[in-house]
Amino acid sequence: MGKVTLLLTPRLISLKNRINSRDRWEMAKAIMLLLLAVCFWIGIFIGVYRVLTYFQGIEVIGDMLTRRLLSMVFLTFFSILLFSNVITSLSTFYLSDDLNLIHSAPVPLGRIYLARFIETTVDSSWMVLLFGLPVFIAYGFVYSASFTYYLWLMVVIIPFLIIPAGLGITLTMVLVNVFPAKRTKDIFLLLSIVAVIILYLLFRFLRPEKLVDPEAFSAVAAYLTALKTPSSPFLPNHWATEAILPLLQNYEGSPVFFFLLLLSTGLALIVIGNYLSSHLYYDGWSKSQEAKKSTISKTMVIERLITFFTRYFSPQTRALMTKDIKTFFRDTTQWSQLFLLAALVVVYLYNFSVLPLDRSPIPTFYLQNLISFLNMGLAGFVLSAVAARFAFPAVSLEGPSFWIIGTSPITIRGFLWSKFFTNLLPLLVLAETIIILSNYLLKVSNFMMLLSSLTVFFMTFGIIGLAIGIGASYPRFKVENVAKMATSFGGAVYMICSMIFIGLIVILEAWPVYLIFISQITHRPLALSQWTAIWLSFFAVGVINILAIFLPMKIGAMKLSEMEEYP
Amino acid sequence: MIQLIGLTKKYSKVKAIDGINLEIKPGEIFGFLGPNGAGKTTTIKIMVGLLKPTSGRVIIDGNDIAKNPLEAKKAVGFIPDRPFLYEKLTGKEFLRFMAGLYSIDTNSYESKISELLELFELTEWGDELIEGYSHGMQQRLVMSSALIHNPKVIIVDEPMVGLDPRGARLVKEIFKAISSKGTTIFMSTHTLEIAEEMCDRIAIIQEGKVIALGTMDQLRNKVDASKDQRLESVFLALTETFAQPAESFEEVP
Repeated sequence: MGKVTLLLTPRLISLKNRINSRDRWEMAKAIMLLLLAVCFWIGIFIGVYRVLTYFQGIEVIGDMLTRRLLSMVFLTFFSILLFSNVITSLSTFYLSDDLNLIHSAPVPLGRIYLARFIETTVDSSWMVLLFGLPVFIAYGFVYSASFTYYLWLMVVIIPFLIIPAGLGITLTMVLVNVFPAKRTKDIFLLLSIVAVIILYLLFRFLRPEKLVDPEAFSAVAAYLTALKTPSSPFLPNHWATEAILPLLQNYEGSPVFFFLLLLSTGLALIVIGNYLSSHLYYDGWSKSQEAKKSTISKTMVIERLITFFTRYFSPQTRALMTKDIKTFFRDTTQWSQLFLLAALVVVYLYNFSVLPLDRSPIPTFYLQNLISFLNMGLAGFVLSAVAARFAFPAVSLEGPSFWIIGTSPITIRGFLWSKFFTNLLPLLVLAETIIILSNYLLKVSNFMMLLSSLTVFFMTFGIIGLAIGIGASYPRFKVENVAKMATSFGGAVYMICSMIFIGLIVILEAWPVYLIFISQITHRPLALSQWTAIWLSFFAVGVINILAIFLPMKIGAMKLSEMEEYP
Repeated sequence: MIQLIGLTKKYSKVKAIDGINLEIKPGEIFGFLGPNGAGKTTTIKIMVGLLKPTSGRVIIDGNDIAKNPLEAKKAVGFIPDRPFLYEKLTGKEFLRFMAGLYSIDTNSYESKISELLELFELTEWGDELIEGYSHGMQQRLVMSSALIHNPKVIIVDEPMVGLDPRGARLVKEIFKAISSKGTTIFMSTHTLEIAEEMCDRIAIIQEGKVIALGTMDQLRNKVDASKDQRLESVFLALTETFAQPAESFEEVP
């Protein structure tokens, strides 16, 4: 066991050093994150507590519902853990940089397996465990459980975490022997995105709003039948539920039996995994070291499209844009997010198609235009979020390769504008698709269609200007996962600025549009002073838009130029 | 061609480089040597515009890198010691990208790219993604990219890192050939044999200061070494003289 502990020490010491570091900024960030986590934690607790209290109040099926919910919670955790373990073990067992050092040291394979097993389990489980705790504590509170429940829960949860780890690691070992490790990781990341999209779409298309519709109550009988059916007795979520529920609902049950089922399965998986590792691991690891001679699509169509769209730019901008577009489409972690984007647009438009406008007491004409107006703000918000993911990290995405830009005869301004134009066309297409289709579904007036299309068109320029400019003001060339950039401090600054910008535009346009509508409804022409105010409002919109484009770009270029050292 | 005037860089209270003055002539191969942490990479980073000096100036081809960076950078081809490249581009695409950054005419760079790939023995890898390249191949690709715009100055940090003997010989020959055509080469290296073999003049830097400067013979004279003494012993003699004596060494068991 000594070797296993030794293999785990670098991680522990690094963690200790990070905690001990006196970097104030890091400390502030950690405290902010901690506060956020605590808020989230309390939120989960209150939410689950209220749901459970509500369930308890329902006669006959109350306990059944809580049992079902617990089983579902365990099943969800189990699925997430399984997925997370596969992804994590690909890194810890195959792609991690320290593996070369470890494999060259005289350490038995079994010890490496065990150490990496512990590392994988901890890495994949801590977050699920952390955010699962308020759920279990809420159960304890609602059922006024004794201290034994909490102790027993801690005992039961350990083998429950080991099982998906064992399964995930074994699955990874088999997969890596068939596919290269890097590709497997890409495939799994892609699968996880597709899974999220399917869940998201399914949930939306189930139309949860129908649950409050009395006409849908006929399904209650079928619902009750479904509740009574137990979940599969061969799944660990069922065992975990049966191991802790008797302590909550005070019935006999066989908690020890189900705990032993969990424990024996967990231990068996460690032993099986250890045995398999002696046969599969080394081959797979060697395979993952082989040169990755990647195949890339050399479709002339894409090449020609890039040449066509970039032909009017300077050679420098063209070179940067071509590089960025190609890099984007060759990086699975980047382009796969387009699926998420597509799902977002589909659901966005679907929401408009099912709006019961005709059932509203407010006149339809008025409501349609009002919603179309709100739609502008909402579309702006969606665009900001998309830009936060794609345009905001554009500068940081250069990463350690930024030395190429730093030493080339290109101005930082030119560099930033190339990023601006690379993001402009796709975001404009997205913006206009959202706004025109949603307005079409809303059947708005031609005036509103024109106004919102034009507003969103110009708003996109401002949003990208803000994203690129603020992204350049807070560059993080060392960040490993660009998806996390949006949640950084700079990302928050950008989102706040973007929200203020969109809010200002919508407010400045709402008032003149209201005046125009009123004059149309009342058939009274607008006074000269009103026309002046309307034009002033639109002028202000124009000025704000121009400021949103150029000001952040200028500040970003200045901050980037003033950087003491480039990577 | 290159002038460093009173170049100083401070990190809080520590002086990484301290008033460096150098002048390098056109066509010269100049060696920049020094022990680890002496300030070589810091100097190079300032020369190519990746780092701002605390004081002092760098003039390349008559242009101050701080005041007229674009013109100065146009004259330079830079080869860093650890080349981080765009891994999702192919070798050819990377060279086209670099040609674009230097605003080279589209019609003329294709033949130049083929020529450079051929020269650095990368032709058969030209259409492969850079992520599949070995360290040595990446190094050779960066060297090709540094030559794409026919620079007047090549600044190179550790040219032989990651190169196999064949690659190293190739690079030496290429450097000698381009320098004979008038290109100035400023080279920082730890490989003393290469410096000795290739460089017209050598500067030795320690603790941020130039402690010796001159041709091989001038350096030998400085430590009263005989004609047949290699650069290694000259270098050690110079740096040991300059270094502060260590207070104590614990005996290694």
